[in-house]
Amino acid sequence: MLLDIPFLLILIPLLPLAAAVLTAALGKHVLGRASHWPTVAAVALSSAASLLLVVAVRHEPGHEKIVQLWTWATVDAVSPPPPGEAPTSGYPGVRGAPLPVSPTHPHPNPPPDGEGTGSFHVDVVLRADPLTAVMLATVTFVSLLVCIYSIGYMHGDPGYWRFFSYVSLFVFSMTMLVSVSNFLLLYVFWEAVGLCSYLLIGFWYQKPAAAAAGLKAFLVNRVGDFGFALGVFFLWTTYGTLDFTLLGRPELAHGGTAAAIGLLLLAGACGKSAQFPLHVWLPDAMEGPTPVSALIHAATMVTAGVYLVARCTPLYMASPEARYVVTAIGGGTAVLAAIIALTQTDLKRILAYSTISQLGYMFLALGTGTLLGVAAGMFHLVTHAFFKALLFLGAGSVMHATGGVIDVEKLGGLRRRMPITHWTFLFGCLALAGIFPFAGFWSKDAILAAVAEKSHAGDATWLYLILFLVGTLTAFLTAVYTFRAFFLTFYGRERLEPEAGKHLHESPWVMTGPLAVLALGALAVGGYFQWSGDFLDHKGFLLQTPSLAPLVEQEEMGAAPEPGGEGAHSSSGHLAVALLSTGVAVAGIAVAALLYLGRPAWLEALTALMTALGLYGLSKNKFYFDEIYRALVVGPLERLAAVLAWLDQHGVDALVDAVGAVPRAIGATLRPLQGGLVQFYAVLMILGVLALLGALLL
Amino acid sequence: MTNDLAALHSYLAVAAVLVGIGLVGFLSRRNMIVMFLSAETMLQGVSLSLVAWGRFHGDLGGQILVLFIIALAAAEAAIALALVVTLFARRGSLDIAAWQDLRESDQPPFEEEDLPPEPSDEPAAWPHLAPAGIEPASIDEKEHYRPKV
Repeated sequence: MLLDIPFLLILIPLLPLAAAVLTAALGKHVLGRASHWPTVAAVALSSAASLLLVVAVRHEPGHEKIVQLWTWATVDAVSPPPPGEAPTSGYPGVRGAPLPVSPTHPHPNPPPDGEGTGSFHVDVVLRADPLTAVMLATVTFVSLLVCIYSIGYMHGDPGYWRFFSYVSLFVFSMTMLVSVSNFLLLYVFWEAVGLCSYLLIGFWYQKPAAAAAGLKAFLVNRVGDFGFALGVFFLWTTYGTLDFTLLGRPELAHGGTAAAIGLLLLAGACGKSAQFPLHVWLPDAMEGPTPVSALIHAATMVTAGVYLVARCTPLYMASPEARYVVTAIGGGTAVLAAIIALTQTDLKRILAYSTISQLGYMFLALGTGTLLGVAAGMFHLVTHAFFKALLFLGAGSVMHATGGVIDVEKLGGLRRRMPITHWTFLFGCLALAGIFPFAGFWSKDAILAAVAEKSHAGDATWLYLILFLVGTLTAFLTAVYTFRAFFLTFYGRERLEPEAGKHLHESPWVMTGPLAVLALGALAVGGYFQWSGDFLDHKGFLLQTPSLAPLVEQEEMGAAPEPGGEGAHSSSGHLAVALLSTGVAVAGIAVAALLYLGRPAWLEALTALMTALGLYGLSKNKFYFDEIYRALVVGPLERLAAVLAWLDQHGVDALVDAVGAVPRAIGATLRPLQGGLVQFYAVLMILGVLALLGALLL
Repeated sequence: MTNDLAALHSYLAVAAVLVGIGLVGFLSRRNMIVMFLSAETMLQGVSLSLVAWGRFHGDLGGQILVLFIIALAAAEAAIALALVVTLFARRGSLDIAAWQDLRESDQPPFEEEDLPPEPSDEPAAWPHLAPAGIEPASIDEKEHYRPKV
């Protein structure tokens, strides 16, 4: 009963929704300071339910359960169904027989039971399988910790109730996003998380920078969502259904169609997960409160893109071209963001670029199309959620203590005044850099191993070789910028300004508690899952997902001809990669320590060298992406908008004003008829009589 | 043309002249009483015309209607003159141009261009002879000049 999957599936999103509505209705006047209770209670229960769901899905035969709730929309068709097609049994979902795309295109399957052929149904269907369960558990657990942290961070803010209402709404949208079983509803909740992100980034809406950042996030996401929508349309015309069951028969899409669908869905994922070229919104999104950055822009929303690509693995496996693009974008973004993070001075921006870089790693892994790759990508998603949320919450703790100062050049030596924050931040940094035995080591190692494997055997080995080197370089740079931020913030002499240093104290336990829990996670989660094999093992929990079954088949087929195991699966190959990645990470930490804890002259020399090479300027100015986009896209659009505004004002408004001017003109003409003189009125009466007589007589 | 018709024409001509005089007088005079007088004249013209037609057709209906008109005109006279008296008490003038307030807000009021000068408040100087001998007791001007009759 407690492990009843439909009950759990419905409860997990429903509770945060109820909390959102309750807080919105009662928060301002009734709940006030206690506005956090509905949200924290709801998310805590959802988190517990998600953990129970994981257990329940393990017990479920086939590890997949579909729960149909109700039919959202029905459109009856006008055209008759195509004759001679045998109806197939299928899952409920979006049904309908579309028009054939071309005469040679195979006619997609008609809807089940033959009833309502040619009509269009959209059902609200939820699904529980290992992929969903993993996402739900991660999302709700990290959300719970962030909500508890926010009690301390947002204390005293006039919009306290509004914050928790938005956060609950976000948790609802995100849990629904990973639970729904068709692409249309996925799109709906995709937009919903984008909306919540906009609301939360622009939470302090009176600040113009925050309002602009929220708008930027939403608009850049919209560009990606446009591609996503086109991909959904393509799926509809190819498969005749939008339900996830279409992933079970990827053979209907071949060659160009599969590549097109893959690329369009990738466009959506790039928008949401801030990959090149749609990464520009994430650093600006740091204008929002720090818990928002931790929750949405590190652990949950930005992982929606990764979830999408992982869910559509069969489609990507059908199209190597799309996969190459995925990996290339992932690897390219990873190194791009790492380079930019080297010179940023705002701690939250450094972490934002770090998020972009780590998401690049996840896409790098997913694009390999192998079992190890996809599993490693999802594994990194989970570990990244822990240590990135930890790092952001730590940065928030620093901001809370210094009264809002987040410029690393104005911080320093905080380890003496904020010990808990210092130690938890250190754990997060070690996990991010990928040092054994922290969480990041296991997942990053798995990613690099997957890329290395593809660079030895398979298709386009040259691409994967380049990307392996890029990934290793990025691991080095990751260690450098992470520990740069760490040393500048917590070590060295205190560069704080007097008014910031006044009440510098460790944060309250509501804030340091979640930090400690996440630090424990950053330490143990990676090792635990590596040991349990839940992610990376063929028979492990994650790979029991039916959507990911083709990966297992491919692996087993590939392993069969070489039973001796001399492929890249060899443990020696893995060990080499692990040693290499640890080596570059340690080297990175050493470089950062030398530059930022050693003599200032070395840092100055390096900076001078990089400036002379022009690299420093490129990095500091974020490769001029914002300026390029402003010139190429925003500028022309603004000019177009100005032209249209002029047309609207002088064309359309002129027409409307003209219509309004006619009665006025008539009035002005007729007004002198009332002059106030009685005799004038008498004259008019006589004229009227004459007119009447004339009409009668003539 | 028979006699009857000729007579009718004459009567109608006189009635038309009366109506015309009344119309022109109503439109061109500014004294309220004179305007009312002109309106009454128009009524009389109409009455004459009615009687003439009655006689022409041999129908006494014309005369009956004229009796009605006379009674009506009397009642109307009472009301109209009561109005005129009230209006005069308000503005102190019988000029119809004093009442232009019911015009549209952006129309200019009608103003006389060439008005006779307003009577000034100082009393007109009475001629008096040069005093001979002793000045008599002080003469108060007000006792010798009455502004209103």
